[in-house]
Order: sequence, then structure tokens, then C-alpha cells
Amino acid sequence: MTHTLHRQGTRESLSRDYPLVAVAAHGFNDKGAGPKLGKFLEICWRHGAVNLGDMKQGSVFSHDADGIIKNVSDTTIVECVFDDLGKVEAVLRELKEADIGMPVVVSGFIESVRECCKKVGLEIHTVAQSLGVWGKTSLLPRKEVLEITTMCGHAMVSPNLVEKMIEDIKKGKMSAKKAAEKLTKPCECGIFNPTRAAELLAAAAAK
Amino acid sequence: MILDSEPCTGCELCIPYCPVGAIYIEEGIAKINDDECVECGVCFRSGICPVDCFTESELSWPRIIRAVLSNPLIESPDTRVPGRGTEEVKTNEVSGRIKTGFVGLAVELGRPGIGSRLHDVQKVTQAMAEVGAEFVPENPVTFWITDKKTGKIRDDILNEKVLSAIVEFAVPIAELKPTIEKLQAVSKELNTVCSVVNCVKLAPDGSIPTDKIYQELGITVRPNSKNNVGLGRPLFKFEEVS
Repeated sequence: MTHTLHRQGTRESLSRDYPLVAVAAHGFNDKGAGPKLGKFLEICWRHGAVNLGDMKQGSVFSHDADGIIKNVSDTTIVECVFDDLGKVEAVLRELKEADIGMPVVVSGFIESVRECCKKVGLEIHTVAQSLGVWGKTSLLPRKEVLEITTMCGHAMVSPNLVEKMIEDIKKGKMSAKKAAEKLTKPCECGIFNPTRAAELLAAAAAK
Repeated sequence: MILDSEPCTGCELCIPYCPVGAIYIEEGIAKINDDECVECGVCFRSGICPVDCFTESELSWPRIIRAVLSNPLIESPDTRVPGRGTEEVKTNEVSGRIKTGFVGLAVELGRPGIGSRLHDVQKVTQAMAEVGAEFVPENPVTFWITDKKTGKIRDDILNEKVLSAIVEFAVPIAELKPTIEKLQAVSKELNTVCSVVNCVKLAPDGSIPTDKIYQELGITVRPNSKNNVGLGRPLFKFEEVS
């Protein structure tokens, strides 16, 4: 699944948005993969991931992080997101040293990820690139909403809920941080970036 | 999804949570438009209902495909993988799924956030079958294609609505240009949107073998990509081609 791809926004905003995914290759290295994927999550959490989850258990916005890390199964997909490229570099360095053998994908600007990899002695192997949205694009919500909803690739974050949060911030009923937390919860995988969402909500409400 | 209207107070708190806008108020109580509901489970899991009106339904065929392609916590019974697609680039250094000289294309109908009926998905599978696309076997949509040569999807699911469905296939890089041109043409016939993905193994010098083709086609490739950083083991032995 390409759920960490197709995130929309300005270059400046996306420079604080780096989802990481780890999964075993079915039929190649999936036997006994659970604890290794748990180790991946443990390293990411320790280095300050702003969200984290497991596609079979849910995210830290619904469950306890330690519980998720301890209960990772062999056939799941585990994810997290960082708002700082320096932290991603630290994670990749530790993952390389730990040599857990699980495939890892880092989403973000290719030149930034390439530079990050170079610093720790890794190289990008294969890439998935977004060619954008085609078809009946007149159906899409406005840009400010899409920049938020596309942070959940499974579309669990409703555009109508984003609009409501923007209205609530405008009316002073809720802070941008609290609204971002409410939007983060429906994303079960843990790749929705609450830091970036708060920034985008505050900007949209200020218009 | 079942919404028990009996305890509903008509508070409307649940309405904005539905990603496809399928919850509405009628005579002061909340109801679900079953034809539009994609069985994603967001309303239930949100816990937003103060009187617990929502219950997840026991789904049977063909409605169950709505949940398989809309609720990320549900594992596909056909692929045994959670989510809507396959491992694609995620494990390529170990699985060798995307071979040197080939490109993997993924057309995700309904994304971002609009949803799609399977008959729109079939428009793409049929168009891609015409150009000789090789559908990825582990993908749920591929399981429902009854004729891989024509791209025909089984009739009993064509009107089902899902949050998104991924048509995933591989073509030789030499065939990429006509394939994309065909895809551009069929995308104009859709009653929904689609997000399109190009998956390719980097060349030994680190360059992306398909960049020039997209430049020639006038297609902008977004700069934020999904990058497999090669940490998986054991490594697949790829055959390099000149």
C-alpha cells in the first residue's frame, strides 16, 4: 500500500514531515519478524517520533506505545512519523547498526532522504513516486483541507471533520494543538503528523 | 455499519467523522446511507457517539469488499495483508518484486478521500489489459479480475463502493510511455479521482530510470517520494540490464 505517499503541501511545510514504514517480505524474512519490527518501533519512539502505530493494533493516540511495541506480529506493517530530518538520520544510523534485516521505507523529499542515507552509509534502493491526482479532480476538497487529510493515506481523516476543527479554532472553542490531536486519532497506522496538522490548522483558521 | 436509531438523540456529533458523508439526520435522528457507506469503521472507532449507537456489522459477500478496501485494520482474506495493496517498493531489496528494466504502476481509484465504485476500477483494469499490463497477483483487486486478458472484474461487485482500490501492474520501461498515455485517456472517463504511482529500482549511479520519460510526457513527478533505504536482508540478486 502507498499510504505514506501523495502527501500534499508546500515544500517548507513538507520539510517537517517524514513517515517511516517497516514490514517483512512475505515468504522471504517474515518468520519471526514480529520482535524485529517491534525493535524498529522502539528505536523510532526513543528518537522522538511524533506518532507511531501498527496496522493490526492501532496508533499511540488510541493505545499505549509500550503495549504496541511488545505485541507486534510477523505479518503486520509498522509505522511512525517524524517532524525533524535530524531525528530520521539518528534512527537510520541506529537501525543500520542494529542490523535487524527488516525493509524500511522513508517518505519525504528524495534529495533530503538521499543526503540522510549518505551520512549513515545507506543508499536508496527503490523509489515510489507520486504522479499526482488524475480524473474528476473537481470532486476534491479545498487545498487547505487536502494538505491535512492526505497525511492519512487510508482517508480515515474526514474532510468535514477538518472543516469543523478549523471553524472551532476560529471561534476560539479549541486550540490548534487539541484539534490536531482529534484529527490524529482516526489514523490507525500512526503516520498522521500532529505537529504539522496543528501548524496547518492554525494557518487555515487565521485566513 | 449499523446505526441503532433508538437511543440516538440527534446530537449530530458523528456527522463530520464520516469520511464519505454517509451519515445524515432525518426526523431528528441520525441515519446511514447504506449505499454510500464504505464500511471503514471510523464512526464506530471514534467513540464519538455519547449513547453508543454504532455497531460493526457482520458483513457477507459482496458487501465485505467495502470493509477490505476501506478499513485498514481488516486483513484481506485473499492476500492476508492489512491495507489495500501489496508490499510494492517496501520490500523490493529482499523480494525483487520490481525487476530491473521494469516499472511498477499503481493507480489508486478514489484516493484522496473521494471513494470509488468498482465499475470505475474496471475502466482502468480494462484499459490497462489492452496495453498488456501484467497485474500484480497479490493485490486484492487482481483476485476479482475474472479475465486478466480483458481486465473484466466480476459482475457481482461492480456497484460496491470503497474508499479506494489499487490497480497494480508492471510494464517494461520501454512500454511506459504508451501505457501512461492510455491511462491519461481513461482517467478522463472516471466518475472519481485516482492517485497514480511510479515504482522503479534506481540505476547503479543512483538515477531514476523513468524520470526522462515523464519529462517527455509533460507529467510532473512530485518531489516527496517513498524511498526504500535498502536495510532488508537477505538481499535479492537483481540482474542488471544495459
